[in-house]
Amino acid sequence: MNKTPAYKTALDVVFIIVLVIASWWLATDVFGVLPSRIFPGPGAVFSQIVEDGEKILTGIVSSLGIIAQGFVLGAACGIGLGLLLGSQARVHAAAEKVVAFLSAIPPIVYIPYGIALLPTFRASSVLVIFLATFWPVLTGTLAGVSSVDKRLIDSARVLNVPRPKILLRVTLPAALPLIFNGLNIGLCLSFILLTSAEMIGGSSGMGYYVKYYSDFSDYTRILAGIIVIGIVITAVSMLFGMLQRRLLRWR
Amino acid sequence: MCREIEVKNLTVTYEDGRERFCALEDVSFTMRAGELVSIIGSSGCGKSTLLSVLEGLRSPSSGEALVGGEPVTGPSPERSVVFQQYSLFPWMTALGNVAFALEQAQPKLKKRERLELARHHLERVGLAGFEGRYPKELSGGQQQRVAIARALAEDGDILLMDEPFGAIDARNRALLQDLLLELWEGDGLLPEQRKTVVFVTHDLDEAILLSDRIILLEADASRGIPGHVRDIFTVPLPHPRHRHDLLRSPAYSAFRCAVSDIFFGEEEASSLQFARKEVLAA
Repeated sequence: MNKTPAYKTALDVVFIIVLVIASWWLATDVFGVLPSRIFPGPGAVFSQIVEDGEKILTGIVSSLGIIAQGFVLGAACGIGLGLLLGSQARVHAAAEKVVAFLSAIPPIVYIPYGIALLPTFRASSVLVIFLATFWPVLTGTLAGVSSVDKRLIDSARVLNVPRPKILLRVTLPAALPLIFNGLNIGLCLSFILLTSAEMIGGSSGMGYYVKYYSDFSDYTRILAGIIVIGIVITAVSMLFGMLQRRLLRWR
Repeated sequence: MCREIEVKNLTVTYEDGRERFCALEDVSFTMRAGELVSIIGSSGCGKSTLLSVLEGLRSPSSGEALVGGEPVTGPSPERSVVFQQYSLFPWMTALGNVAFALEQAQPKLKKRERLELARHHLERVGLAGFEGRYPKELSGGQQQRVAIARALAEDGDILLMDEPFGAIDARNRALLQDLLLELWEGDGLLPEQRKTVVFVTHDLDEAILLSDRIILLEADASRGIPGHVRDIFTVPLPHPRHRHDLLRSPAYSAFRCAVSDIFFGEEEASSLQFARKEVLAA
């Protein structure tokens, strides 16, 4: 499909980034086309990132901690429940309808319940990330289970593989491509929801950093926060993409 | 060791919502231990259904299938299966697929012994050096070799093969047939020490080349006639056989002509009938 070698693409991407930063620099620091109060130049923003390094790093660690907990828990529950529900035809059909309804509700609306029932805002955030991952992963797993080629299940059955082992060693890997669809949606939602949650009521994290300085109209730091958020999410997505390619290399 | 197969008045009916479809009706035959029997017939004659009953994947609607005198109630380690295609686990390498079968067949083996044994079985089917390949990196013929190695690893006394070479190109199919003959006839194996093989195919030449006997099934869906045994032929050629000698033997030619008349004659008749029906409908 895409025949361009990886290093050429990387070169092109670097070129585009340089181009964007250069035009940003020209539009602000050099010609002052943009209002300087809300559009600080790249020099100011990048030195702000370095200056606030420690604070930003603490925020990243806090955000990623919440994502990791909620995402891993949501993924594990979604895959586990999906495999169990999916393996019974009748349960599967009903579950798909119910899940379609429940997964349509944006998990952020559960925040009031999270705050009422859980001890900390951090725990509520984990709950939101959990749900943001759980529903798409459950949906993906159910779809994955029904997509499994019956011939593979028959192959396992004639090899006398016991049912639970078929679920783990045949159904799970066969469903993995569609499970990864769910995981990717979940990861994407997690970042959107977490930054939003941090901006609504958090007291730490990357979203909080942006929200806090927006109260002071400190656009240098706001822009610094936005750029860092972009970099962190891209890095996590790339790592996750590598994991996916590794686990699905047999395709 | 009881490895003979007995099929008694076997009838299989599918229920698909409101529709009922009878795939097999009153099929009976017996096979002795160490015999290689082909089930042959055109598409829709119920030959794969018959095999799936022997595999234990489908229950008879009436009648029964006995292996060693015991009714078949589900899959069993004594019956190894080779399917037509797409039966290897795509996320496991060639070696992994064979080792996975060994995990079930010989659970006591240590992992290292298991891999060693799996490697040995891949060697037997001519796939030394392909251990690390995933199924998608293998040709169709090589994939079927892995499937055969997997069945060998399971080491059941009975081998059930469901059109195993049906999707393979002519040259590789011939190579696979030779491999099967070689493995089944063994090196100095007595006839009764061989595996009992049920080989489903739609290829008459393949059936003659391989089998001791041929069971011809027929069905006519347009007239609502379910699959049934039309004829059972004994192939008058001794084992071990070699393709080269066989094709030049008069006994082979005579037998092939006789069976062809019945096998293809029937096809003509049913297509004639079909044509006549179309004319009537128009």
